[in-house]
Amino acid sequence: MSYSRKMAWRNYLVEGFLILSSLLIILPLLIMVFGSFMTSSEVLKFSLRLPDKWIFSNYAEVFREGGLGRAFLNGLLITSISSILNIVTSSAASFILVRRETKWSGFLYMFFFMGLIAPMSTITTIRVVQWMGFYGSISSVILIYASLNTAFSVFLYSGFIRSIPKALDEVAFLEGANTFDVFLKIVTPLIVPVNATVAIMVFMSVWNDITIPLYFLTDSSDWTMPLSVYNFYGKYSRDWNLIFADLVLTSLPVLILYLFCQKYIVSGLTAGAVKG
Amino acid sequence: MKISKKLYSYYLIWPALLIYSIFFVIPAITGLYYSFTDWRLDRESIIFIGWDNFERIFSDKTLLLALKNTFIFAVVTVIGKNLLGIALAVALNMKLKSKNILRAIFYSPSILSVLVISIVFTPMLRSDGTINRVLDAIGLHSLNQAWLTDPSIVIWTIAAVSIWQHVGFQMAIYLAGLQSISKDYYEAATIDGAGSWRSFRSITLPLLLPAININLMLTLIGGLKVFSEVFVLTGGGPGNASQVVGTIILRSFGEGSWGLGTAVNTLLFAVVTIIAIPLLIFMRRKEVSE
Repeated sequence: MSYSRKMAWRNYLVEGFLILSSLLIILPLLIMVFGSFMTSSEVLKFSLRLPDKWIFSNYAEVFREGGLGRAFLNGLLITSISSILNIVTSSAASFILVRRETKWSGFLYMFFFMGLIAPMSTITTIRVVQWMGFYGSISSVILIYASLNTAFSVFLYSGFIRSIPKALDEVAFLEGANTFDVFLKIVTPLIVPVNATVAIMVFMSVWNDITIPLYFLTDSSDWTMPLSVYNFYGKYSRDWNLIFADLVLTSLPVLILYLFCQKYIVSGLTAGAVKG
Repeated sequence: MKISKKLYSYYLIWPALLIYSIFFVIPAITGLYYSFTDWRLDRESIIFIGWDNFERIFSDKTLLLALKNTFIFAVVTVIGKNLLGIALAVALNMKLKSKNILRAIFYSPSILSVLVISIVFTPMLRSDGTINRVLDAIGLHSLNQAWLTDPSIVIWTIAAVSIWQHVGFQMAIYLAGLQSISKDYYEAATIDGAGSWRSFRSITLPLLLPAININLMLTLIGGLKVFSEVFVLTGGGPGNASQVVGTIILRSFGEGSWGLGTAVNTLLFAVVTIIAIPLLIFMRRKEVSE
């Protein structure tokens, strides 16, 4: 009795402390959200308070001035195609890497794994893309994102596929299926949760990135949302209400995605990273 | 065994291998060559110049400072993100009423763009900004700093912002690791009379090693590749006080000195590999022996 009461007290103490520390996370974000509804002079105190009057037109203005409609579509196009490309290619490769227990596949696994460690060589990548003749295009950026995420995806997929019994494939092979059938009809349905994890991870990292568009998208009409926001931030450095509205708008898509898919993030990380 | 080799045909690897090789591996390897050249945007010919680029890096104060800052950032963020991440995960693995909402709150900044967080913090970190005003209000006036304009602390400030944003991501991986530990171990330990610290040290930490391993790797490698935080918060300033390898590469790219830029990148590659590979081997061995 006294032991469990002691435990209860400790839990209350920890909970109280955590709630206080969570304010450190919430308050800066609330300053941004509330600030996005203020007038440009009211926002300049950067303190936490509700707006005197909620000005929703800030959002309309930002959307117009910042060219966000175009940037949103660019981001959606680049992010979704590179995620799909990455999912299809990485899961197929991981399937073979895990199933073929040869030296060569062990070497290839390490070859992919190095991609987690090595930093991207930006300047020579530009050179390669120039040589192939499509520097500055959206399609080059899609392929670059797919390649940059290959290492992490192969790592997650391999961890998960290793836990699927090989006996399942063997039965199918005995019935006359080939590699492709087994991958499509047996493995693909089983790795749906990892597909979701990889999709979310790639989507978030690509959507939020500014580095690749900065180097590779030479035409500002091809820019994604964050880079447009950065540009807007430079131009409208006095109007923090508009900057904040811009920041909220670029965060909304990932926030919505996260709310719908959050269970896949943790379950996928457990399967791929922690156990794998 | 023989059957399986024939049945699992290699062709399913090809698409991933091609994309990865063309856009990641080939640039990395050619970069190795170009770092020994005087490759410039404005010149036709590219001449092999041996170690000149590297000698220049090690004799240039700004470039050396950038290397030093990159290390400071990496070390500080690795320690901060992992210590706080474990602490948060352990606390949020307890039976708390508000644990689900608290987990979501701590995780939330890490799904946003570094750009968003950096811009939000920019006005708050000014000398007359929110953070200094809060410190004044609670009587800690002596802690006031010119967070982003004092050259001696600016890289630490940037590291702190990064820890603030990403600690929730590390927490999520640690939570996943904690949840895969069976409760039986703790019950057995309690019966044997172990206190909570003892249980943490003898059960939690060893069984959490896979999660610690992956988190150390992710934070270390991510830390050494730092770019966006510095680019948005300070642009490398004041002066060159917060330059890191990533911003130096952007600068050499803009100036057209591409040989030097790739040399800086090669150096980063070498440093990351030299640190990460032994760490990886060491951690793997520890995991197996547990």
